Amino acid sequence: MSLIQLEDVVIGYRRGHPLSPPIRFSVQEGDAIGILGPNGAGKSTLLKTVLGTIAPLSGKLSHQHGRAPRVGYVPQGHRLDFAYPLDALQVVLMGRAGRKGLARFYGRADRELARQALGSVGLTEVAHQAFRSLSGGQRQRVLVARALVGDPELLVLDEPTSEMDPAAEHALLSLVSGLVTARKVAVLFVTHQISAAAGFSRTVMLLDGARALFEAGPTGELVNSERMTRLYGRPVEVRREHGRTLVWLSAGEGGEGT
Amino acid sequence: MSFWDASFLWLEPMLASLIGAGLLGYLGFFVVLRRVAFMSAALSQVSGLGVATAFWVGSFFGVSPHDETAFWFSPVTFALGFALLGAVAFTLPSRSRRVAPESVVALAYLASSALVIVVLNSPRIAQEAHEIGDLLFGNAVVVRREHLVQLAVGAVLVLAVHAVFFKDFLFTSFDHETAASLGVPVRALDLGLHASLAVAVAVSTRALGALPVFAFLVLPAGAALLFSERLKVVLVLSVAFSMVSAAVGYWLSWTWSLPTGPVMVALAALFWGLGGLKRLAGARS
Repeated sequence: MSLIQLEDVVIGYRRGHPLSPPIRFSVQEGDAIGILGPNGAGKSTLLKTVLGTIAPLSGKLSHQHGRAPRVGYVPQGHRLDFAYPLDALQVVLMGRAGRKGLARFYGRADRELARQALGSVGLTEVAHQAFRSLSGGQRQRVLVARALVGDPELLVLDEPTSEMDPAAEHALLSLVSGLVTARKVAVLFVTHQISAAAGFSRTVMLLDGARALFEAGPTGELVNSERMTRLYGRPVEVRREHGRTLVWLSAGEGGEGT
Repeated sequence: MSFWDASFLWLEPMLASLIGAGLLGYLGFFVVLRRVAFMSAALSQVSGLGVATAFWVGSFFGVSPHDETAFWFSPVTFALGFALLGAVAFTLPSRSRRVAPESVVALAYLASSALVIVVLNSPRIAQEAHEIGDLLFGNAVVVRREHLVQLAVGAVLVLAVHAVFFKDFLFTSFDHETAASLGVPVRALDLGLHASLAVAVAVSTRALGALPVFAFLVLPAGAALLFSERLKVVLVLSVAFSMVSAAVGYWLSWTWSLPTGPVMVALAALFWGLGGLKRLAGARS
């Protein structure tokens, strides 16, 4: 049974201004789905639609047992305001807000769960350090802990590694992948790193709203040179060697790989 | 007559200053971190327009500003009503992509400032303009008992709401998007927070004056954020800086015959300066 099912859903903010063609896909328990697309393709809008924070312009979005799954959300780290005088534990505790409800204080049990969540991402020792004083990678792990502390059925990550170096990116995605496997939650993540999508998802979605492009399917089938070149509008080479996916831009335009 | 011998003269204004400063010092935490300082200035102007409008409307019904007025003609009712409408207007536009929220705040600030002057120059209330000006812009030197009571009731209401919803206000302020994804009613909480700000501004402007109100909403919290990275410490320091500025400012203005509001503001700014020096010293060591 699907956690979430989209049937011919068109995403966007205003009627008459769709940001995608009709989208049809479902998220099953334990799925790991990467979303790829150029800047402004509508990837984050698709996430917001799945999260239910904006309504689809048309089509049907349905849930298992008629209720939305419990969600854990990891936003783009740079969108947060580091002026707030919060420590890591206080940030993680916020992930309990959905379970607690309005006007109910966090209790001892919530604090213990938050400590456990921090421990699960290997950050027990920074619980009382100022959030803003942490490194970019540590902050993202704190946000993953916050997403996990609400015991989600679906983990949604919006460019979780956008400000990370390749080693930190690989470490975070490995961590998320391990946690997802251990907890049997589904994960849906947006990334600009083709190699990350290829390495950590079984299914990918290719989205470019400006060209009314949407495809979803097994990662091994969709992440190839032809489709990536068409998606990004520039020559992209994809090669698989020894179980790893190598990705680079042709004509000496730099590259990436994993 | 010494300052302490004259306590019967300054006790009520001092109490009003302390209550207002404490309340605004606390709310300043959200004002500074949500970057809505200009909104608080606009709410002050909008509530002032409410006061002026109350007198203008009252003039048609023979209501004198010097007498006990019916609830519906009371300046505080109009001030609260106008400020709450402002809070609603400032909360709604963020849904629209065409109108930036700052534009709506600027429109409200400018239109209210202009309309207050227009209303005060109406021949119907021209003879009351000076006294209305005191009510509009406050006068921390003399505070009427009824204004002190209104301020205390408003402060208790606002702080009670914040005691209950603090965790939710903090979450929506820090990470609106994630809060919404967890089903937290972010729009209603934004409205509640802005409404609490509107009530605080409306009841304290008449007791303290527009300038100190704006200053207490920005300077103590900004200074506290320079002194600490701990949530509880920042909140306590913000309230403390605000109340100390109010009390010491009042005493200095009495002792040296200085204008009360500006002295309070200067002291609050001093705390910010001290915070900046502390940061500078920390960066060098």
